Amino acid sequence: MIKYCRRCIMPETKPDLFIDAEEVCSACRSFERRKEVDWDARKLELESVLGRYRSKNGSNYDCIVPVSGGKDSTFQALRMLELGMNPLCVTATTDHLSDLGRRNIENLKKRGVDYIEITTNPVVRRTINRLALTQVGDISWPEHVTIFTVPIRVAVQFNIPLIIWGENPQNEYGGPAAASDNSVLTRRWLEEFGGLLGLRVSDLFGQERIELKHLIQYTYPSDDELKRVGVTGLFLGYYLPWDGYGNALYAQAHGFETYHKAVEGSLVNYENLDNVQTGIHDYFKFLKYGFGRATDLACMHIRRGRLSRADALEMVKAHDGKFPWVYLGYPIADVLKEIGMTLEEFQRVCDRFTNKKLFVCDSRGNLTKDKDGNLTKVNDDNT
Amino acid sequence: MPKIRVMPTLLFKEVGLVKGVGFDSWRRVGSAMQAVKVYNMREVDELVYLDVTATTDKRPPDFESVDELADECFMPLTVGGGVRTVEDVRRLLQVGADKVAVNTAAVENPAVIREMAQRFGSQCVVVSIDARRRADGTHEVYTHSGTVATRKDPVSLAQEVEALGAGEILLTSIERDGTMTGYDVELTRRVSDAVSIPVIASGGAGTYAHMAEVLRDGRASAVAAASMFHFTEQTPLEAKRYLREQGFRVRL
Amino acid sequence: MKTVAVVDYGMCNLDSVRRAVEECGGTPVVTDRAEDLETATHIILPGVGSFRDGMHNLRQRSLDVILREQVVGRQIPFLGICLGMQMLATKGWEGGETDGLGWIDGEVRKLEPVGEDRRIPHIGWNEVNVAGNSPLFDGIGSAKDFYFVHSYHLSCRNERDVLARTSYCGGFVAAVGRGQVFGVQFHPEKSQRAGFQLLRNFLSV
Repeated sequence: MIKYCRRCIMPETKPDLFIDAEEVCSACRSFERRKEVDWDARKLELESVLGRYRSKNGSNYDCIVPVSGGKDSTFQALRMLELGMNPLCVTATTDHLSDLGRRNIENLKKRGVDYIEITTNPVVRRTINRLALTQVGDISWPEHVTIFTVPIRVAVQFNIPLIIWGENPQNEYGGPAAASDNSVLTRRWLEEFGGLLGLRVSDLFGQERIELKHLIQYTYPSDDELKRVGVTGLFLGYYLPWDGYGNALYAQAHGFETYHKAVEGSLVNYENLDNVQTGIHDYFKFLKYGFGRATDLACMHIRRGRLSRADALEMVKAHDGKFPWVYLGYPIADVLKEIGMTLEEFQRVCDRFTNKKLFVCDSRGNLTKDKDGNLTKVNDDNT
Repeated sequence: MPKIRVMPTLLFKEVGLVKGVGFDSWRRVGSAMQAVKVYNMREVDELVYLDVTATTDKRPPDFESVDELADECFMPLTVGGGVRTVEDVRRLLQVGADKVAVNTAAVENPAVIREMAQRFGSQCVVVSIDARRRADGTHEVYTHSGTVATRKDPVSLAQEVEALGAGEILLTSIERDGTMTGYDVELTRRVSDAVSIPVIASGGAGTYAHMAEVLRDGRASAVAAASMFHFTEQTPLEAKRYLREQGFRVRL
Repeated sequence: MKTVAVVDYGMCNLDSVRRAVEECGGTPVVTDRAEDLETATHIILPGVGSFRDGMHNLRQRSLDVILREQVVGRQIPFLGICLGMQMLATKGWEGGETDGLGWIDGEVRKLEPVGEDRRIPHIGWNEVNVAGNSPLFDGIGSAKDFYFVHSYHLSCRNERDVLARTSYCGGFVAAVGRGQVFGVQFHPEKSQRAGFQLLRNFLSV
């Protein structure tokens, strides 16, 4: 039986989540503590840190903002402009960029920022997507890597020490830049924070003819280089009462375009609009841990009083963890074709990574699937 | 000497992998299948897989999960957790375990160790000993995932099970587990010196230097680690490279 | 097509061998039936446990006779793994004196501690030093590590039967071969790359 938080609907199977004796999860508790935060003080802190990094004569950028063109990064970039910073926006091109994603990137540029897009070799990228999917059940693993490595490499190469990230999972942590001694990022911090599912870039050498020369953009600069430039970072989510929906409204008012309906497997139309492979990525989260994107969103909105737990349960039951036949209107066949996998192979990989303890199985121990290939969880709520 | 083995340990609780500190505060760390596949890709020396609540939940080993994971595992696999009878061992070996670790049963019913060794051979039987250091520096064996004190001394238990036919000892320091502050070297040395079967040191590894220390001064034949590989950027391969530089024979 | 009969005589862990054979391009058939052994292109005898129990289980199923027909008679390529290699011997001393299959002249004895090599069972990875030019070790190199887990070893009477040695406890025979009959003390199915290469070599015999 899966245990759930009794306030939101997150299951205890989520890595790093902890459900306490009162059956409330650590994420809900963390959100509770927000009430105690002096946001004015935090804003002052933020301005103080930014002030330390602002260029004296405008000859170099004040900071790097890693962006995807999505609601959060659009918000982050614009907020930096508003706070008087001169950001260099850096995008590590995603695995399979959607048309909508491309339009939102162009929109961000048009808001008035200098912008670098770094696209890794798509042929190699596809091979890595497939390897990561079959080896660790995460098609988006290379994306998780480059989201960090690319902006940090740019920071070193362009001599821009400060990186502005958005939210971070440990909400109480402002980031190394917030430390009084201006901590510098180290490889160790990055690997621990990056959460790379145990797979490292070094594991890829020699697999399917991948060589060192293909993995340059996936490699962190050395600790010496990081120290030389003094590369550091902060999380805006610590300094502002972060809300994805609020960011979406703000971004939309500045030209950000949403999808015409709730994205498949999700409850909203304003996020995860750029990478067509995200449907598969979210599905595997469901297979391994019993919750998908719909659950994540429902929990966020429950905490902010927008949804009741009962309504959220019903919505999640209807939309969470469905087999990703279509994502952003792109059929799965198109996505799988890009990475050279057949539907049958894909289904086999799905089954291999499914945690059978979480789903209904028949008397022979095989997963029970409906006509669309969807699984059923053993329990959707505490009994 | 055979080569020094570096063994990642996977701890399984109910539905997925966990890591704890001092056998408590279990934190979920992700999917078992994923971890097994990654280690398999890296061709590690050996893998240890322990079900930490089987005994306290009073249930048998989870044969189905082991079966699934063993299918992805082309390296030697030791499985433990809830192993009480000869039949448990037979079934685990059948679904893919190469060696079976016995903990609580070795204390509650030591004769079963002899039966297992006779039936399947000593080389299949690993006795897992969890010990806590007392204030006066002596050690005490605990069973039931570190919750039940036995008043037994790990050295005499180790000798007892060796005489009964155990092939290997997996020795874990309870209070050091998950702390990444180093193995209990003294505990390891006392047990290693007292028996003529291999001893695997476990509990507390945080750096490659800790591993070298327990191999050299603790005289262990192998080192196991969990938190170190889950939570830091360190890998079994780099550990072996370091150990080779320190003069140990490893497989690279 | 290589149909590899993996002999099931109740001495466990056949799954690893079966999967390894598949990985190496063979079609494994886990069986104790004469018909399957008669139609196989290769035979693997795995095994973990005591010599006495192993031979007893083989005899109980008349497998000793059937195997002799196929291996000695029909000359099917044969690979004994761990206990499977030990049972090739004339006799073994584990659990009392027992006759083996007798295809390799020698006796199976317990490893004895020598100097620093005092821990028995011999568990872990160790170097296999190849003596001479056997097709079994093609492309593997002379001192690769394989995985061992045993307390007994086969002491060969004839040097020409010895394909490889490992230096532990004074040195013991790690692999034997006579004609198309092979035996390895280590577990190729657990020895990853080197082990799989050896299995592929065996399947090419």
